[in-house]
Amino acid sequence: MNVSEEMDILSQPPSAPNLLSKHSIFRATNLTVKFARDDRASPIDGLNLSINKSEITCILGASGCGKTTLLKTLGGFILGEPQGGVLFNNRYLNGPIADILMIFQENNLYPWLTVRANVRFGLKFKKNLKDKDQRVKHFLDVVGLTEAASLFPHQLSGGMKQRVAIARALVSDPSVVLLDEPFSALDVSLRRRMQDLMLQLWRDTSKTMVMVTHNIEEAIRVGHRVIVLGDVPARVLIDTSTADATYDDRYSANFLELQKHIETIIY
Amino acid sequence: MSSAIPKTPFAGWLERSKPILVGLISVASVVTFWELAGAYGDSPLTIILPPPSRFLASVADSGFRIGLGSQAATVYQSIFSTFVRVFAGMGIAFFAAIITGTLLSLSRPASWIFSPLLHLLAPIAPIAWIPTAIILFGLTNVTAIFIVFMGVYFILTLATLAEIQRIPEEFLTVAGNLGANRWQQWVWVVIPAVMPGVFTLLRTNFIAAWMAVLVAEMVGLRDGLGAIIMMGRNLFNNELIMFGMLVIGISGYVVDRVLMLIGRRLLWWRV
Repeated sequence: MNVSEEMDILSQPPSAPNLLSKHSIFRATNLTVKFARDDRASPIDGLNLSINKSEITCILGASGCGKTTLLKTLGGFILGEPQGGVLFNNRYLNGPIADILMIFQENNLYPWLTVRANVRFGLKFKKNLKDKDQRVKHFLDVVGLTEAASLFPHQLSGGMKQRVAIARALVSDPSVVLLDEPFSALDVSLRRRMQDLMLQLWRDTSKTMVMVTHNIEEAIRVGHRVIVLGDVPARVLIDTSTADATYDDRYSANFLELQKHIETIIY
Repeated sequence: MSSAIPKTPFAGWLERSKPILVGLISVASVVTFWELAGAYGDSPLTIILPPPSRFLASVADSGFRIGLGSQAATVYQSIFSTFVRVFAGMGIAFFAAIITGTLLSLSRPASWIFSPLLHLLAPIAPIAWIPTAIILFGLTNVTAIFIVFMGVYFILTLATLAEIQRIPEEFLTVAGNLGANRWQQWVWVVIPAVMPGVFTLLRTNFIAAWMAVLVAEMVGLRDGLGAIIMMGRNLFNNELIMFGMLVIGISGYVVDRVLMLIGRRLLWWRV
C-alpha cells in the first residue's frame, strides 16, 4: 500500500496541488457504464468523482439513479469506460479484488457454515496470512458475536447477519469496504446501533468505507462525506463534507439544515 | 404451545403423541379385522391372505430362514442385501449427479450437448434397465446397484442443474470477491448450495429405486426381499408371500425415515 501511496503523490504535478485527489483512493474521470446487451440509457455517463482514503463516504440518491451501479463499478464487479472505468490507487480495476470487499443487502452468508466458519471463509484463499484463528476470534469479538460463533445464519437476526458480514470483510484486512444498503432491512433502533458499530469500527481501523443508502439521516450521521447522485445518467448533485462533529448530533442546526437541503433536491 | 391453559405433563404428552396413537389404533384395527376375517382355517381368505398370526407363526417355525435346504438364508440377510443395493445405488447416483451436474454448469456448450440426453434418459423407468443390466453384469449385486443408479442418476443430474440456477447471485460474487477462483467457488459454494435440494429429490425418487431393486430380485437375483416373494410364489406358499410383503413395507418405511433423518441432521439448510 505504501508503494501505491507514493505513486499517488508522485503522479500529482507538484505545481498543481489538489487536496482532494492527494488523499483519494478511487478516482473516476469521465466514467461511463453501459448495460451489456441493453438499449436502455447508460446509468452512468461522464461522471467525475473521487473517493478519499480512510473516510466514510455515503452515496445517496433516489432509486434507479445509478448509485448501486457506481458502487459495483468501484468494486470492479462492473467494468466501465475508459479502460474499466475506475482508478484504484492509480491503477485501473479490471475485476473484483480481495483488497476491495463488498457487503450486500442480503445473502452475504453461507447458510451451511457457522458464524465462525463464515467469518473464516475468505481466509481459505489467503495463503500468507498468519494467525488466522486469532484474527477470526478478534473480529468476532469486535462485532460482539463471540457468543454466537457456533450458530448458523438461520438462527441469527438481520442485524447479527450483517455484523457477521462486516466481520468477514474486516478479517481479511482489505483497504476498502463497500456497503450496498447494508442496514435497509433492519428496524430503526437496530439500524442506529449498526451505524454506531460502523463508526466505532472506522475509529479502530481507519478503513476506507463507501456506503450506498437511501436514508438521508444515516448518510449524514455515518458519513464523513455525503455525495448525492441524481438524474439518469447519474451526476453529482451535492458533494459535501460532514466530518464536522456537529453532524453527529441529529438535532443540531447543521444536521437538520443539510437534511432539509438534500430532501428538497432528491424528492 | 397450542393452547394457553396449563397442562399436566401427562396431558401434554398425550397431546403431542396424538397423531402416533391414532395411527397405531388405525393399524391395530386393520390387523384385528384381518385376524377375525381369517380366523377360519379353510376359508379362501385365510388361504390367499393369511393373517399375521398365521404367516408369522409359519415363518417363525423355520427360524426366520427362507429357502430350501442349504440355500436358505435368514430374513435379516435378505433385508441386508436389499438395503446394501438400494443405498449403494442411491449414494453413488447422488454424488455422481452432483459432480456431473455442477461440472456441466461450468460450461454452456457442455450443458447444451448433454441436457437433451439427460431429458431423454430421465423418464426411462429403472425397471426397463433390468434386462440390459442382467446381460451386462449377470445376476450380481452390480446389476441391482446399476439399476438403482440408472433410476435416479439422470433425474438428480437435472435437479442439480436446476438447483444451480437457484443459487443466490451474491454467494458466488462474495466468494470471488474474497479471492476464490472458479474451482474453489465450485467446491466451497456450488456443491454445498445444491446438496439439500438434490437430496430432497433423492428422497422423492427413493420409491422408484426401491421398486426397481425388488423387481430385479424377483426376476433374477436369488436373494433379497423381492426373492422372498418369488420363492413364496414358486412354492405356492402364501404365508411366505404375506411375510415378504410385510417386511418390504416396514423396510421401505425405515429407509424413508433414515433418509429423512440424514436430510435433517446433515443437510438442514435451505438456500
